Amino acid sequence: MYDIKFQNVMKAYGKNVVINNLNLDIKESERLVLLGPSGCGKTTTLRMIAGLEEITEGKLYMGGRVVNNVSSGERNVAMVFQNYALFPHMTVEDNISYGLKVHKLDPAEIRKRTDHAIDMLDLKGLENRKPKELSGGQRQRVALARAVVKRSPYFLLDEPLSNLDAQLRLHARKELVKIHEMYHQTLVYVTHDQVEAMTVGNRIALMYQGVLQMIDTPSNVYNRPANVFTAKFIGSPPTNIAEAIVNEGKLIISGQNVSLPEGWLKKVKENNCDKLYFGIRPEYTRITTNYTENAFTGIVKYIEDYGNKFGVYFEVNGTEFISVCDENVPVKGETVYFAPDYSKIYLFNHESTKSIGYPEG
Amino acid sequence: MRTKLSEIKWHLMLTAIALILIIPIIFAISNSFKTLSDAYSNILNIIPSNPTLNNYLQVFSQLPFWRITLNTFLISAAVTVFKTVTSFLAAYAFVYFVFKGKNIIYFILISTIFIPFTVTMIPNYLTISSLGLSDSLLGVILPQLSDAIGIFLLRQSMRSIPRSLVEAVYLENVSHIRIMKDIILPLARPAVISTGIIFFINSWNEYVWPVLILKSQDHYTLSLALQTYVSQESGTEFTVVMAVSVMAMLPPLILYFIFQKYIIDTFTLSGLKG
Repeated sequence: MYDIKFQNVMKAYGKNVVINNLNLDIKESERLVLLGPSGCGKTTTLRMIAGLEEITEGKLYMGGRVVNNVSSGERNVAMVFQNYALFPHMTVEDNISYGLKVHKLDPAEIRKRTDHAIDMLDLKGLENRKPKELSGGQRQRVALARAVVKRSPYFLLDEPLSNLDAQLRLHARKELVKIHEMYHQTLVYVTHDQVEAMTVGNRIALMYQGVLQMIDTPSNVYNRPANVFTAKFIGSPPTNIAEAIVNEGKLIISGQNVSLPEGWLKKVKENNCDKLYFGIRPEYTRITTNYTENAFTGIVKYIEDYGNKFGVYFEVNGTEFISVCDENVPVKGETVYFAPDYSKIYLFNHESTKSIGYPEG
Repeated sequence: MRTKLSEIKWHLMLTAIALILIIPIIFAISNSFKTLSDAYSNILNIIPSNPTLNNYLQVFSQLPFWRITLNTFLISAAVTVFKTVTSFLAAYAFVYFVFKGKNIIYFILISTIFIPFTVTMIPNYLTISSLGLSDSLLGVILPQLSDAIGIFLLRQSMRSIPRSLVEAVYLENVSHIRIMKDIILPLARPAVISTGIIFFINSWNEYVWPVLILKSQDHYTLSLALQTYVSQESGTEFTVVMAVSVMAMLPPLILYFIFQKYIIDTFTLSGLKG
């Protein structure tokens, strides 16, 4: 009933295309996170749902109805803006209840909803303050409260936590999920922070340069990236990506080769490509200084100290990899052996940069 | 220390400018309380040797002074209200509506600021007299219902209001009138007030246009009344002129003192955000 569907949606400002042929299904009551670097079109996508941006081409459905020409006000969405957009001349309470008063709701109902939101978001005692007398965290909660009292079936959030410090962000994130579990709105959340995306989203839609890269659960986005961009964008330090060739059952990177297991060879064959991109996350890159068979040999170039772990940069015949280790850290200049864990690697088609799939089991 | 020094320099300079600007006003006030002979012999004395109210009394006896003040007030008030309202509405449209040729229309409108009054004076005069409105207050008011400067100032001030505030209201399905009343007007209030004051003072001091339209003394405005004293051939009654001047400048001066904070805010803001 309250699902959202983008069908071949294109958005352009003059000749500048910012969203290209977007097809996206957002299910009722789910928490979908639009994730991507700045300028990827995620906020524009959100604003199209809110009706604050016109759609150049294609159709946007909300609740089964085409809404391209429906004004923002008639879409019944609640939105939290990045800068919160609190009315500076109104008190906290007036900010929260403004929308309800405009719609001439029964005063008792307005009171009830406002009080409930003030309670829930811990704003008691601040009712008569103006936004400028509040801290960042308090303002963010007022913005949330203003959106919550509306009881809209659609809940849109545009980087709502980006102005908060790290600790507050953690707390606010939990609060947000709690609110969603209470009201089960269809929630669309825009962020550039992958940790936020992982923790808030039931599903993540990753965007880049106006194109949807992948949409799946956080675990699949992390463990089974659909393309090179997804693999590189998600995770820190970023996934190691190296050009590779598969020849006679061997995976060859920079002239060195290791044997590739049967499952992967089948996938490579299915896709009929021998030029590939090889990917593996630094945390799954086990390296050792003891000679290992069927492993790549590299030289350690640089070591980063993360406090609890170390990032070891090593080169395999000129191709740089990074590995995260917590013990047996090699020293600069030492030779290391790197045997990939084949259940954790990714292989991408060299031309399309798309994943060739993952072996079963 | 260096900032202190340059601050002192600035203060000295500004004080000097302020003095230069205020001297004519002090001059007018002090001479309006002098007798004519005292004024001629001690024209630069700030304190009158024989303070007198005769100049003021003379104005009241010779002219329908209250009537003239009322005329001036009516014209200024009407012009101010209309100009402010139309400027506000136009500025709102230029900032928040999306329509074809918006910027071109805006720039054409703004360029009218640079058309000298003398160019529009004759066409306006002909229009007003063919409407049969010469020698009436309405004839003075009618060509002054809108003003490009007001649109410019209010547009600047509205542009400094974060767009998301207005978007947050759009989501509530609220009419434009309500958005103006609830959000834009309260936030743009300093600009609206100061724009209004500028309109009021300009209209209050206006001379050329009223002198073209208004013929009978009953319809005169204060600037016209002042002129009758200055141009009297039987030796200008200098001190009476000063008395009329003082009375004419009091209302705008009082207004300015009440609202000066807003006026300064508007100009500094429009300068910064321009």
